[in-house]
Amino acid sequence: MAELLQLLISGLAAGSIYALAAVGFTLLWQASQTINFAQGEFVMLPAFFVLIGMTVFGLPLWLSIVFGLALALLILGVAFKRLIVEPMLPHGTLPLVIATIALGLLMKESVKEFYGATAQPFPAIFPQTVYNVAGASVSVQDICNLIVSMLAIGSLQLFLNRTRTGRCMQATAQNPAVAEVLGVNVKRMVLYTFLINAALATIASVLISPIYLAKFSNGETLGLVAFIAAIVGGFNQIRGALVGGLLIGVIDNLSAVYVSSEYRSAMPLILLIAIILLRPQGLLGTPEGRTV
Amino acid sequence: MTMQPQAHIKPVLSVHNISKQFGGIRAVNNVSFDVLPGEILGLIGPNGSGKSTLFNCILGQLRPTEGHCAIKGRATDGVRPADLSLMGVGRTFQQLSVFPKMSVLDNVILAGQEHEGTMFSRLFSKGDAGLTSKAEQLIDFFRLTPYRNTEAGSLSYGQQKLVDAAMAFMAGPDIVLLDEPAGGVNLTMLGYLKDRLTTYNREHGTTFVVIEHNMEFVMSLCTRIIVLAQGEVIAEGTPDQIRSNQMVIDAYLGG
Repeated sequence: MAELLQLLISGLAAGSIYALAAVGFTLLWQASQTINFAQGEFVMLPAFFVLIGMTVFGLPLWLSIVFGLALALLILGVAFKRLIVEPMLPHGTLPLVIATIALGLLMKESVKEFYGATAQPFPAIFPQTVYNVAGASVSVQDICNLIVSMLAIGSLQLFLNRTRTGRCMQATAQNPAVAEVLGVNVKRMVLYTFLINAALATIASVLISPIYLAKFSNGETLGLVAFIAAIVGGFNQIRGALVGGLLIGVIDNLSAVYVSSEYRSAMPLILLIAIILLRPQGLLGTPEGRTV
Repeated sequence: MTMQPQAHIKPVLSVHNISKQFGGIRAVNNVSFDVLPGEILGLIGPNGSGKSTLFNCILGQLRPTEGHCAIKGRATDGVRPADLSLMGVGRTFQQLSVFPKMSVLDNVILAGQEHEGTMFSRLFSKGDAGLTSKAEQLIDFFRLTPYRNTEAGSLSYGQQKLVDAAMAFMAGPDIVLLDEPAGGVNLTMLGYLKDRLTTYNREHGTTFVVIEHNMEFVMSLCTRIIVLAQGEVIAEGTPDQIRSNQMVIDAYLGG
């Protein structure tokens, strides 16, 4: 029982970070039909921005995080939209998908080339203390990661549902032609989406790197997991991506102990296949029907 | 053929010698007319008569080969859809144009909110932009109050058309262009839609331009009708005049 509790908590903590990446993934899809196969690298990279802030510019950790966020907004948000998505999108979804795959490779190899192939230690944001709760070891870091991720996704939901800009972003995702006719600045709303994705990726990066260290290849698993989480939960719902991310985190942790650690990484894929066969719109998703 | 407006009243919409050529096909050929404030003008014609092309020229989405269109004296050519809305032009779409996953209320509020506020207030202010009561009035006007909080995508087709109409009026436009409002709407709902549009026109003096296939609907709604065939105006007049016009009967019956 104690072991189960422990696995659940660390599963939820990891899953909430997957959810950050998955939510960004679905947002991009909704706002601009971008399936970003570089999403894993988007989460890998900001950690290196932060490290650059600390080692190259000698900034304190918090300031380096601000620096990393600013750089991420600029490169993963604005530049990604302007230089890759905008020129490629008119040619269709597939060329854009291929471009994002290429971008992912480029980012991975660049980090390896310019920063190094070895895993870089990343400073812990939260205390490394582990408490014993009813026989289970519960790490403060896990709890804090879970809280920060949930707060980020919660405030994003509030922003999208309660503010005027948030509603305009939803309108843009649901029916861009009509949104434009009603006076919504569709291009700006799409840009906001890219900025939000970059910010979510930075949060995920800063939370996950103290655990897994900053390494050029971190995006491989993360990108795949975010993709699976988005599909499992339902591609057109933020809630879906959240549930998908948490579910995969928990299944991953539970299966490592209760099934077999060798098949651990196969479990999310098995889940993916089951969902595609049984409920293709995802757990919380609705069948996609775009009307323009 | 064109009915001359009285000199002292400025037209809301003027169409001057519009022609539109697609390759070898002249979809619209030298069409001119003015629409005066408060008029309900019907644009009718068989399939391929150039109605939609003309409509898109008026909305600035197609660049006419010759001529120009102006709304309240301002040319619409090349104007972005978002700016057209700020110029006081509302429109409905042939296909459904609600935001399916938002409530009816949110749909209607959204249609009005982009006219207010600075960028900062847009980013952080509350979602309704103080427009809830105005939106509720319109929802009530179209008798959609029971569906106020329902997701627009789950309403019937006819009800969504009403939401669409409410949205077109939300920004307080001077002129509303309705693209086949009767298409796919059942008879009961059609009579109701007609009643609401006429009442709105009477109460607010809003000008309408209606493109429509459904002759009966146009005849009962419009104050003046222009008939297009093969890109040209073949008749213009009151519904009664149009009904008895031999050229119109021939064009429609293929005689």
